[in-house]
Amino acid sequence: MTVTNLRWMALIISFFVLILGGLIGIDLGGFLPTYACPYVGQTRGGVCFLFRLQFILGVGSWEAFKALGEHLLYFSILVVLIGRAWCGWICPFGFVQDVLDLIRRKFHIGYIRFPERLRANLRCIKWIFFFIALLIPLWVAYPLFAPSVAGDLRQPFCSLCPGKYILPLVIGDPDSVAVDFKSATTITMTILGLTFSTLTIIGALLKRRFWCPYCPMGLLLSWYKKISFIKLKKDCQKCTMCEVCYNVCPVEIQQVFKERENEDVTFTDCTLCLRCVEYCPEDGALRATFLGKTIYKSTSKGFFSRQHIIPAVPEEKHQKAALEHTNE
Amino acid sequence: MNKEISQNKSPNEADQLQKRKDHFARNLARSAKTVLAELEENPDLPLGMHYFINIMREVFVKDRVHQLLLPSLHQSTNNRKIIGTYCIMVPEELIYAAGAIPVRLCGGSYEASCIGDELVPRDTCPVVKASIGFTSFNLISLYQMCDAVIVPTTCDSKRKMGEELSKFTEVWMLEVPHIKDSEGSRRQWLQQLYVLKKNLEKFTGRRFTGRKIRRKALDTSIKMIGSAQYQARRLYEIRKSSAPVILGREAMIAINAYSYATAFEWTKAMTGLNDELEARCHKGQFICSEHTPRILLASCSPIFPNWKIPSLIEEMGAVIVADESCMGNRYLYDPVGLTEKSMTDMMVSIAARYLMPCVCPSFAPNEDRLFRLLQMAEEFSIDGIIYYVLKGCVIYDFELIRVEKIMKDKNIPVLRIETDYSSEDIEQLRTRIEAFVEMLGTKKRNSLATKTLRF
Repeated sequence: MTVTNLRWMALIISFFVLILGGLIGIDLGGFLPTYACPYVGQTRGGVCFLFRLQFILGVGSWEAFKALGEHLLYFSILVVLIGRAWCGWICPFGFVQDVLDLIRRKFHIGYIRFPERLRANLRCIKWIFFFIALLIPLWVAYPLFAPSVAGDLRQPFCSLCPGKYILPLVIGDPDSVAVDFKSATTITMTILGLTFSTLTIIGALLKRRFWCPYCPMGLLLSWYKKISFIKLKKDCQKCTMCEVCYNVCPVEIQQVFKERENEDVTFTDCTLCLRCVEYCPEDGALRATFLGKTIYKSTSKGFFSRQHIIPAVPEEKHQKAALEHTNE
Repeated sequence: MNKEISQNKSPNEADQLQKRKDHFARNLARSAKTVLAELEENPDLPLGMHYFINIMREVFVKDRVHQLLLPSLHQSTNNRKIIGTYCIMVPEELIYAAGAIPVRLCGGSYEASCIGDELVPRDTCPVVKASIGFTSFNLISLYQMCDAVIVPTTCDSKRKMGEELSKFTEVWMLEVPHIKDSEGSRRQWLQQLYVLKKNLEKFTGRRFTGRKIRRKALDTSIKMIGSAQYQARRLYEIRKSSAPVILGREAMIAINAYSYATAFEWTKAMTGLNDELEARCHKGQFICSEHTPRILLASCSPIFPNWKIPSLIEEMGAVIVADESCMGNRYLYDPVGLTEKSMTDMMVSIAARYLMPCVCPSFAPNEDRLFRLLQMAEEFSIDGIIYYVLKGCVIYDFELIRVEKIMKDKNIPVLRIETDYSSEDIEQLRTRIEAFVEMLGTKKRNSLATKTLRF
């Protein structure tokens, strides 16, 4: 079983647990570092941390802040445990994008790659989203000016987030895909949200993991990359700079193959999907470590079997098992 | 081509030209024969090597390359185009996918380089001289057979060579960027490959039905070359073994033969050779002891029939376990990494494979090569590096300083050898190489002795 298949399994399982888990009484809490969207209704199996963050900040009382501290602690523990593997292996919205990507592949349509300059310019978007999620709820809690507008801005990021519209739609709840005509503010916000959703659906059909570089949750998670247990490491001497890791990377990280000094190549956007390790043609040039212990590393044989040039080699199963263990 | 030249000349001159040509052709055949005979003398020669030696014999001695590449003249294959390539940046996948056959034309013949001498400046490297000599003077039919020649703009000599070659044959220049890191140059390179693809489609297609390079055909050819690369990598792995099972000069001939064979046939033969060598490894049937000094032959590529340096090194009692030349280990090392079957991904991956991991010194900065050499020195437990510079190859010579510096830190001695294709300096080289190999041998014995003492 390849890592890709394993990842698909993890994604499918977590999609059912997080989006439909409520049907069998699963409730994982409100501190999940992934798009466990509460807008899917009663079937949800947990709540996205960003939703809870905005909610608590919006209440603004002392008790609420204490609860936030507690949530932040649990959130941090979860993130430190597997870092941004939450994005690559668990996120239900990531799963939806991967499915759209699979459709593109089945039709043999090529992917789009943004120029570096454009990507650098777009990098600020996630920060904008992050500050929206952080500051507007405070305004809601303490409406010093324009209280009527503030009142309609509860969960401001959520009403912009494509997850709010797309995830309920995926499980067959089209009611969410509608403009909220309550006030001018809600109209603007929902129209913006629907625009982002449409863009994301079209984008994900043309570009791999279209939404991920703009996700404020990903930004939050990336702050833990230095202390998180899972890391992506590179042996710079073994690397031939063949660029394969860049071409297979769904979020198109260049630094992995360009890095020539540091061993740690877990970069901000990296979702730890481990495709680069899977497709690296050099023995041991790339590897994933959990608490410093190598759990998966690149092999030349593995590369050629993935290119269907040699029959698949049975890979070290315990490595995979270890990885799966940390994910579930 | 030659006909044109001879038509313009008086019958007497044409006669003389023909005589000269015959003279050179005879000499070429003789020197190629000598090298092959020397290789075949080795009692430990792996049986699988005969295919590769035979290829060289067919091309250079018997001049029957046509039968080699297009074996069935009466079938549909006989109108397949043959495309000559220089350097290692020409994507053979595209050529195969277009239904043509690529042959690599970088010349290694002393005789051809003598002819080329008259056509290019004195300081040009012998590879270019020989290539021009071969093309202008029809010594062997390989060069006449090519319907078009693709010349990448790598070093100065190759670039100008492309221009000179266009007097004799149809030349397509392929612009290789010299800075790999920037996004712009990579995009430009990709664009170049799209242009090449279009040209190939036009060139190989029948007159009115411009046959396109199809997704499936490209995928198949990527796989075909991928399996050749897999076998080349297997040989590379086998040569890492603590006691060698194949001589460097033999392994290098085997890789070199890929230039003149179709990838499919070559892969079959290589698989056989690798199986044989792996069996040798298991049985412990080594060709020399573990104490033999292990040499890395760096920089310029020995190209058949110029087998002067590899033969000398191994005659002197060392063994070449690795080389990093573009006719050797580097030729088939880096594979195309596909993740999906779309045309975009295939083109992007091919572009990446031919540009990014290439450590040709025509790129600057070329730090990657130093990493590569360090890694090879470690992987193959190298005792010494022979830095082989062909006269006129300035760019390889430039990098010597850096290579010497990093190897000094690793305590690996480097010997620089500058020569061309002539055999005049052979005795002098023999003395130098002998001294170097002996020094390595003593060093190795001493270190092994101290090791055994310690345990």
